[in-house]
Amino acid sequence: MKPRVAFFDFTGCEGCQLETLNFNLEVVDLINAVDIVEFREISSDHSDNYDIAFIEGSITTDRDIARLQDIRNKAKVLVALGACACTGGVNSLKNFYSMEENLKVVYGESAKYYKTIPTRPAHAVVPVEFFLHGCPPNRNEIIRLIKCVVAGKKFEQCQNPVCVECKLAENVCAFERGEFCLGPVTRGGCNAVCITAGRKCWGCRSLVDEPNINSQKDLLAKYGLTVNDVLKQFRLFNGTLEVAKQ
Amino acid sequence: MQNRVISRQDLAGFVDDLIKTKSAGDVIGIKAQGNKFNFGPLKSATELRLDYDISLLPPKKYFFPQQETVLKYEVEPAFKVEPVVEERMLCIIGVHPFDIRALQLFDAVYGGNNPDPNYFLKRNNATIIGVDCLNPIPKSFAASMGTNTVEEGFDLMLTDLGGDWFVTVGSNRGDSMMKKYGKGREATNVDLEKRNKVRRDAAKKYKTSLKMKPDEIPALLDANWESPVFKERSATCFSCGSCVMVCPTCVCFDVQDDPALNLKGGERYRRWDACMLPGFAAVASGENFREHKEQRFRHRMYRKGKYLLERYKYLGCVGCGRCGTSCLADIALPADTYNLLKEGK
Repeated sequence: MKPRVAFFDFTGCEGCQLETLNFNLEVVDLINAVDIVEFREISSDHSDNYDIAFIEGSITTDRDIARLQDIRNKAKVLVALGACACTGGVNSLKNFYSMEENLKVVYGESAKYYKTIPTRPAHAVVPVEFFLHGCPPNRNEIIRLIKCVVAGKKFEQCQNPVCVECKLAENVCAFERGEFCLGPVTRGGCNAVCITAGRKCWGCRSLVDEPNINSQKDLLAKYGLTVNDVLKQFRLFNGTLEVAKQ
Repeated sequence: MQNRVISRQDLAGFVDDLIKTKSAGDVIGIKAQGNKFNFGPLKSATELRLDYDISLLPPKKYFFPQQETVLKYEVEPAFKVEPVVEERMLCIIGVHPFDIRALQLFDAVYGGNNPDPNYFLKRNNATIIGVDCLNPIPKSFAASMGTNTVEEGFDLMLTDLGGDWFVTVGSNRGDSMMKKYGKGREATNVDLEKRNKVRRDAAKKYKTSLKMKPDEIPALLDANWESPVFKERSATCFSCGSCVMVCPTCVCFDVQDDPALNLKGGERYRRWDACMLPGFAAVASGENFREHKEQRFRHRMYRKGKYLLERYKYLGCVGCGRCGTSCLADIALPADTYNLLKEGK
């Protein structure tokens, strides 16, 4: 029997779901391999009966917490899809301000009608089996995870920093171009797509298992960044991690 | 085999001829990439940058690609396995002597009693046109390693005499290519002395040196297994793998199966992998034989300076300096570590 798969979005831009649909012809193989029972970007169907739940977005309201717990109770496997679900993503930027301040900036006079809580990733609320990092996640990695779940194989996240794939892609190092790159401490699996496109790594795939943060800070300082600048580099995608708080 | 001297114009004509006729296969050459250099398909001799310092990746990528499918399999309707071996005929122009030495090490590792078909079906058909490196990068210590020049491992070796090119012929294939092209003249002893002077002058340009003879490295390592140098040097290591991804002598790969979504078949590929990466020595039980970065750092130094030499008769480091250049923590260059050990620090 094909696994029943459902997608749910929380606080985020839904770009991860779009990326999941961005498979060209492979999408046909995908829908032959699994039954997609809930995915609001492609269907108005709704189901409470699913095996694998993909969670997109971060958790930013009390209502989100209750909804995520309900999904967790129904799903056999929970997958955090994308940076917001895995680390809180860019939404974590608000954690560096008071919630009152955030509401006032965003809603102005109407702030009194809203409630918000500090941003947290899915696994801060419920247990999560798999993480698909990235903003957005790499579509080949999404496919690989689905293959592993369908075939009953162990899914291994990329353990190497972005530098490995960046070198394989034959890029000139972003530091040599005068950029401040988080590639040396960021989890690869993205084929170093940003650096290949002439930009730098902002760390959207979170940190590798053993990041050498001291070395990274020294490196950024060597290239002229202040402590505050360094923290800003980490906060864009990794605001809920210890590294962004010091 | 007769060495020759040809003009710049005739060299360009020779290269354009190779591109046009494909008589030596697809022509690959050293080209500019941003403000760096890299090997890539050559459309015209004008793209060639024989004055380059170093290529981003070594030319090994043409015989041992970053990722390569090695077999395809089916499990339904019936179990079937087909090897995938790509054969390719290539002419690579602008290979530096130390990169040629690295290919000789590769030949030894991938050859032996169980030659690797994916490697040799590309390697055996390849024409190597080298060029003497007159513009070494600051981290290169090839002159100390004796790899700044090579006497074999190429079909033709070019040396820039200023006006003309000296062409050292290194194989029968190279000899017949030059004869067939027919331009230029036979080299005299005066030309040869000019070539040797250019090489001697270039050897003086190396800014980094190994403070010992290369063949002293194994004994030095034998005496220093417990040295604090490895831990001190590796403290700032990112384990980012840059040093080993750009290395011309790193021969290791990982093998993975990639099943199709319908699970009826799939393919197996190999991809560059290396000992400075945390997962390299991890095994299925969860054990990791080189869990700590100082263990990986030390292993790499032994691999480059001792293990490969003992097994394959070639040192595992050719002194190209790519690792030291790409290392953001500036700890990767083997010469630096060997020098520290030698000084007893």
